[in-house]
Amino acid sequence: MTHLVMYQLVALMLLLAGLFGITQRKTLVGMLISVELMLNGAGLSIVAASQLTPANAMLGQLGTLFVMGLAAAEATLVLAIIVVVARRFGSTKTSDVSTLRG
Amino acid sequence: MEHMATIAFGLYTLIILGGSILAVSSSSLVRAMVGLIATLLGVAGMYMLLNAQFLALMQILIYVGAVCVLIFFAIMLTRADGAGEEAESAPVRNSVLALLAVLVPGSVLGWILMTKPLPTTGIPVEVSIEKLGLGLLGPYSLAFELISVVLLVSMAGAVLLAWERRGGK
Repeated sequence: MTHLVMYQLVALMLLLAGLFGITQRKTLVGMLISVELMLNGAGLSIVAASQLTPANAMLGQLGTLFVMGLAAAEATLVLAIIVVVARRFGSTKTSDVSTLRG
Repeated sequence: MEHMATIAFGLYTLIILGGSILAVSSSSLVRAMVGLIATLLGVAGMYMLLNAQFLALMQILIYVGAVCVLIFFAIMLTRADGAGEEAESAPVRNSVLALLAVLVPGSVLGWILMTKPLPTTGIPVEVSIEKLGLGLLGPYSLAFELISVVLLVSMAGAVLLAWERRGGK
């Protein structure tokens, strides 16, 4: 097993942990935590693939930097949405947020 | 040195594994956040092993420093009490379905990874920070500018969403 495959397996593990969390969690904050796990797996996979193959290493590192920036933007927006949902519904459980009325 | 790298890889893998399990299974959201922080630090260690020191630093700075603090604020602002939110156990059917949702893509991706390995150089390439900066300002400047717009829009959108109108409807 090459080093690249080992790094990719760790990234796959992060993705699977995030998938399990996002289907299992009952609150929005828990799901946000799982999304961060998955994004980290993606970043690790990109960096490993670009550093250990003849591909353009700079492009891989910059891509992961952009993934981090997008994760920060996404976390900001999700925080705002969670605050709005908590104010309107009184909880952040996904089972309580079940009305379509505005 | 080779042995030290192997030992470090195993250590970081253990940190990532334990942290991610804690992050998805802990009944207390604050403990889940501690697990997430451990995982992020483990991934930063992996970046160090991959010879991407700048990325490791950015991982700690952006994720641990900014995103985790944001999520802590989310926990605090929604008054999610430490133990209550995720405390009641899910029905067994949900856990079985979640495991299925993990195992199907996991087995497919793992099978592809194990059977079709990419040609690899084995030694991580070194990319200096200077090169990264020149790349951001040269060939990839459009993406660089776009991500700053995305960050600005998301910040403005967050303020707009969470704005509490006084005396409004």
